[in-house]
Amino acid sequence: MPKVIIDGEEYAFEGRPSLLQFCLDQGIELPHFCYHPSMSVPANCRQCLVDVGAPVRDRETGEFQLDENGEKVIRYFPKLQTSCSHVISDGQVVHTARSSEKVERAQRDTMEFLLINHPLDCPICDQAGHCPLQIQAYKYGPEGSRFEFRKVHKPKKVKLGPNVVLDAERCINCTRCVRFTDEISRSGQLTIIERGVKNYPITPPGVSFDEPYSMNVIDLCPVGALTSADFRFQARIWEMASAPSITTTNAKGSNCYLWVRDNLVMRMTPRPNPDVNEFWLPDEDRLTYRWFNENRPCGPAALNKSGACSWDEAIQETAEILKNTGKETLFLASARATVEDNWMLMQLAEAVGRQVAGYIPHIEPGHGDGWLRTDDRAPNSQGCARLGLQPIDVKLWSARLEAGEVQGLYVLEDDPVAAGLCSAQALDNVQVILHYYNTTNQTLPSANVALPAATVAETIGTFVNEAGRAQRVVPAKAIKGVNRTLMMQMGVSRADQHGTPFDRWHNESHYVDCKPSWEIIPLVARNLGVEIAAQSPKKVMQHISASIPAFTGATYKAMGLSGVTLSPIETEVAS
Amino acid sequence: MTKAGDWQSYRRVLLPPVKDLHHLDVYRAQGGYEALRTVLNDWKPEEVTAEVKRSGLRGRGGAGFPTGLKWSFMPPVKPDVPRYLCCNADESEPGTFKDRQLMEYNPHLLFEGILIAGYAMSLKACYLYVRGEFSSWITLLQNELSKVYDAKLAGSNILGTDYSMDIIMHKGAGAYICGEETSLMESLEGKRAYPRIKPPFPAQSGIWGYPTTINNVETLACAPIIIDRGGDWFAGVGAKKHPGPVLYGISGHVNRPGVYEYPTGMLITDLLEIAGGMRDNKKLKALVPGGASVPVLRADMIDGVTMDVESLHEAGSMMGTAGMLFLDEDTDMVAFLRRVARFYHHESCGQCTPCREGTGWMENLITRIDDGEGNLRDLDLLLDLCDQMEGRTVCALADAAAWPVRNTIKRFRGDFERRCRPSAWAVNT
Ligand SMILES: Cc1cc2nc3c(=O)[nH]c(=O)nc-3n(C[C@H](O)[C@H](O)[C@H](O)COP(=O)(O)O)c2cc1C
Ligand code: SF4
Ligand code: SF4
Ligand code: FES
Repeated sequence: MPKVIIDGEEYAFEGRPSLLQFCLDQGIELPHFCYHPSMSVPANCRQCLVDVGAPVRDRETGEFQLDENGEKVIRYFPKLQTSCSHVISDGQVVHTARSSEKVERAQRDTMEFLLINHPLDCPICDQAGHCPLQIQAYKYGPEGSRFEFRKVHKPKKVKLGPNVVLDAERCINCTRCVRFTDEISRSGQLTIIERGVKNYPITPPGVSFDEPYSMNVIDLCPVGALTSADFRFQARIWEMASAPSITTTNAKGSNCYLWVRDNLVMRMTPRPNPDVNEFWLPDEDRLTYRWFNENRPCGPAALNKSGACSWDEAIQETAEILKNTGKETLFLASARATVEDNWMLMQLAEAVGRQVAGYIPHIEPGHGDGWLRTDDRAPNSQGCARLGLQPIDVKLWSARLEAGEVQGLYVLEDDPVAAGLCSAQALDNVQVILHYYNTTNQTLPSANVALPAATVAETIGTFVNEAGRAQRVVPAKAIKGVNRTLMMQMGVSRADQHGTPFDRWHNESHYVDCKPSWEIIPLVARNLGVEIAAQSPKKVMQHISASIPAFTGATYKAMGLSGVTLSPIETEVAS
Repeated sequence: MTKAGDWQSYRRVLLPPVKDLHHLDVYRAQGGYEALRTVLNDWKPEEVTAEVKRSGLRGRGGAGFPTGLKWSFMPPVKPDVPRYLCCNADESEPGTFKDRQLMEYNPHLLFEGILIAGYAMSLKACYLYVRGEFSSWITLLQNELSKVYDAKLAGSNILGTDYSMDIIMHKGAGAYICGEETSLMESLEGKRAYPRIKPPFPAQSGIWGYPTTINNVETLACAPIIIDRGGDWFAGVGAKKHPGPVLYGISGHVNRPGVYEYPTGMLITDLLEIAGGMRDNKKLKALVPGGASVPVLRADMIDGVTMDVESLHEAGSMMGTAGMLFLDEDTDMVAFLRRVARFYHHESCGQCTPCREGTGWMENLITRIDDGEGNLRDLDLLLDLCDQMEGRTVCALADAAAWPVRNTIKRFRGDFERRCRPSAWAVNT
C-alpha cells in the first residue's frame, strides 16, 4: 500500500486523498478555513500550508537516489503547498508546523493577515467559543498585532434574507457560503462583490436569500459573519449544552443537535451523518425549535375534574373511560410518536380487546424536494408501517366520526381536528383521550383527558425514516416529573461540545410537566389490571427487534447515535 | 548582442512602417495571410509547432514561457472534446502598452497568428479577450474581423481548405486580475475573475474545463513571421536564449516615450538613446525594465545589461512585458512605490489572505512613510510582509506586489530612511 511520511511518521493510504483530509482523518490537526469536505477546493485562505517533498529517482535507473547516509534524497516543492488542494502520492514527505519552523512561520503569517482587518468583536460575537478563527488564532497565530492602521469598514447587520444576517467586517472571504449556494443548494443566491480587501458576500440586486436551506451557511461560516436572524445574541455557546437528536418535521430524519440553556431549546444545528443529511438541515427543520419551549402544557387535565388534575387522577380517569368505552374506542397511533410509544399503544388497545386502527397520515404533496424535505410531514410513518400499522382511511373515519358512530377516541401524540379527520363539534359526544405536545393542539378543547406528552427533545425512543433507517433520540432537556430512565440518560446524552454538558441554569418554570407516552401507557394499563412487560424504551426496542422481523437489528446498541438501516419491507406507507 | 548603432538598420516586422496596414486589403497587398495559406495547404499541424519551437519564441505576456513548448502541452485530439485557444489582450499592467499598439496598427497580424496557432493545435475556436476599457480598439478589431470572415479567412473552410476556425471576441471585465490566465478563463465563463489553483493547468482543464492554450497578443503575432521567414531566421534575431523582435514600451522621464520595435537583447542604454535620452538632460536614477511588477534597477546597475531574460536576471530583475519605465534623478522613490503599491492594493482580487490583506497593509505603511509619519521599523515590517506574501498565493499577483516593494526598499533604502522619523536611539558606531 502506498505510504506517506508526515512529521516523521509513516502512514499508509488508499486512493488519492487530499493531504488535509487525510491528516484530519488521522487525527493530525492542520489549521484551515476554506476547505470543506463536501465542496470544491478553492485553496484561498492559505492557512493550511505545509512543506511537501518527494524522493528523487535516478533518471536512468529509476532507483531512488540515496545520500551518503543511505537515506532517500528528498526534493521539496519550491513553495509551501496548500494541503487542502494537494493530492498525496506514494513516498511523499510532509512537514506540518510540528516539524517545520518554516511551516509554523507561514501559518502564523497567514493568521496575522487574517486578523488585521478582523474586528475585535469576540466579546459580542455569536461565534465566539466555537469559532475556528478564534481557536486557531490562539493556537497558530502571532502574539499581538503589528497592524497600526484603521481597519477596513464594511456593512454590518445586513439582512441577507429572512433567516440570515451578515456582518461583512467579520468575513474572512473563505467563500464557503457562496460555494454552498453554488454547489450544494444550487440556489446561486450569494456571490462575492467588490474586490480585494473590500470583498464580501451578498445577494445579487433584488434577490433575497430565501432559499429553503439558507441557514446552513451560518454553520459553514468559519467566523461570526453569518448569523441566524433568530438566534443572534440569544445565548453564548458555552452556556448551552447540546444533545444529539433528529428532526421531526418530515420523514427524512435529518440528524441534528438541540442546544439547551435553562431547559429551553435555543437552537437546532445539523449533526453530520453521511448516510442521512450529510452536513445540512433545511431551515424549516431548524425553526421548529421554539415548539419545544412555547405553548407547552402545565400538567394533565380531565374534564370530569373540571380542568387541571394530578397525574394519578388523569391516569385513573383514562383507565375508567377505557373500561367503559374501550371496546368502542378508536385507537389512533401516531407517525409523530416513537416506535416504542406506538408499540405501547398497541399493547394497551389489546388490553381492552381492540386493535389500533392505524395512524393519521400527514402527507403534503409537493412539499418534498428530493433532498432533505419530504412530502410526508411526520417523522415515523415507516416506524408505524414496520409495526404493522397502516395510515387510516381518512374519508371513512371522518364520515363515521361526523356521524357520531364513534364513542371513544384515544389519540397518541397527534391532532385529529387540525389534521382534518373531524370537526371539534363531532367530538362533543365522544370520550377523547389525548396525548399532546403543545397547547395549540386543536383537539385539546374536546379532550376528556388531556395527557401532556414528552416531545422528541425530552424523550428516549426510535424513529424510522423514509429510507428505513432506524434512529434513536436521547433527551436534550429535562421534564418536571421524576423519570429515572430519562434522568439516567440525561446524565450522558449531552455532548460537551463547547462548554458544558450540564445545564447550569435552573428556572423551575421551564420544566414542562409532561411524561413520555411510554411512561403514561403502562400506568394506564396497570389501572386496567394489565402489566406491560417491557417498560423502558430500550427494553421495548430489544423486544421489538427480536420479535418483529421488520425491526431485526434495531437495538439501541446497533443504532448508536447515527442509526442503522433496516432491510426493506413491503408494507404500504402513507404516500 | 546588438551593439550601439546596429539598431538603426533593423527593419520592423511586427509594426512595419506601412500606412493603413490595419486595413485588410493593405495587409494582404503586403503579403498578409500568405503564411496562413502556406500552413493550411502544405504543413501538418505538428510541423507548425515544431517551427515555433525552433524559433525560440518566448511568451510576451510577462512570464516568458517558451511558446512552442506550451503548444505541445495540448493533449492529443479527441473527437468529442472541444479545445480552445485564448488570446490574452487584457493588457493592464502599469507601464505596459504594447499590445494595444499591435491591435491598432496591425490587427491582421494578430488574426493570422491566431489562425496559425489554432491550426497548429488542431482547434476550432479562439477567444480573444480584450481589455474592456479598450473600446475603440475593440470596435476596430470587430470591423476588421468581420472583413476577415467575409474574405473567408476565418470561419468555415478557411481559404477553401477543410480547416475551420472561429475567432470570438470578448470584452474584458475591467480588472487587472482578468489578465491572469486562469482568472481570464473564469471571467470568460461569466464568473467572477478569481484565479484558479494550478494544477490542473489550462492545457488539461481550461475554458469550460476543456484543454486550452493561452497566449499574449504579441506572442501570437509572432507566429506568421515565424512561418513567413522561418524559425531559424527568428531565432537569429536578438538574444540567443530569448530571440525575436519585441515591442519595447518606453515611458517615464524620456524625451520620446512610445512603443519601439527592436530585437530582444538590446542594450538598455541604446534603448534610452532611441527614446531620445532623459528629459531635460537629467540623470537616470532608476529603471523598471518590464512593467510595474518587476524589480526596479538603480542607474548604476544597468551598464552593459541587455533586454533579455538572461542578462536581466543577472542584473537582478526580469524581462516581464518589456515595458520600460525610466525615472530621472528628481524622482521620489517613496512616492513611486506608493503609487505602485496602491495599484496592487486596488487590483488584488481578494481571494487569498496574504494578497488581500498584505497589499493594503503595504500601501498603508508606504503612505505613512511618504507622509513623513513612518518609522524606521516600518521598512523592516514591509520587507517582512514581502516574505509573508511571496510564493504563498494562488496567482502571481501577490508576488508582483511584493517584488517592487522589496527591491525598491532594498535598492533605495536611503531614500526611504530619510523620509522616516529618526529612530529614538541614535546608532553609535
Ligand atoms: C496578475 C497578472 C496579470 C496578468 N495580466 C496579463 C495581461 O494583461 N496580458 C497578458 O498577456 N498576460 C498577463 N499575465 C500573464 C498571463 O497569466 C499569462 O502568463 C500570459 O497571458 C501567457 O501568455 P504568453 O505565454 O504568450 O506570455 C498576467 C499575469 C498575472 C499574474
Ligand atoms: S461570510 Fe463566512 S462563509 Fe461566507 S465568505 Fe465570509 S467567512 Fe466565508
Ligand atoms: S494572489 Fe491576489 S490576485 Fe492572485 S488569486 Fe490571490 S488574492 Fe487574487
Ligand atoms: S484550507 Fe487550504 S487554503 Fe484554505
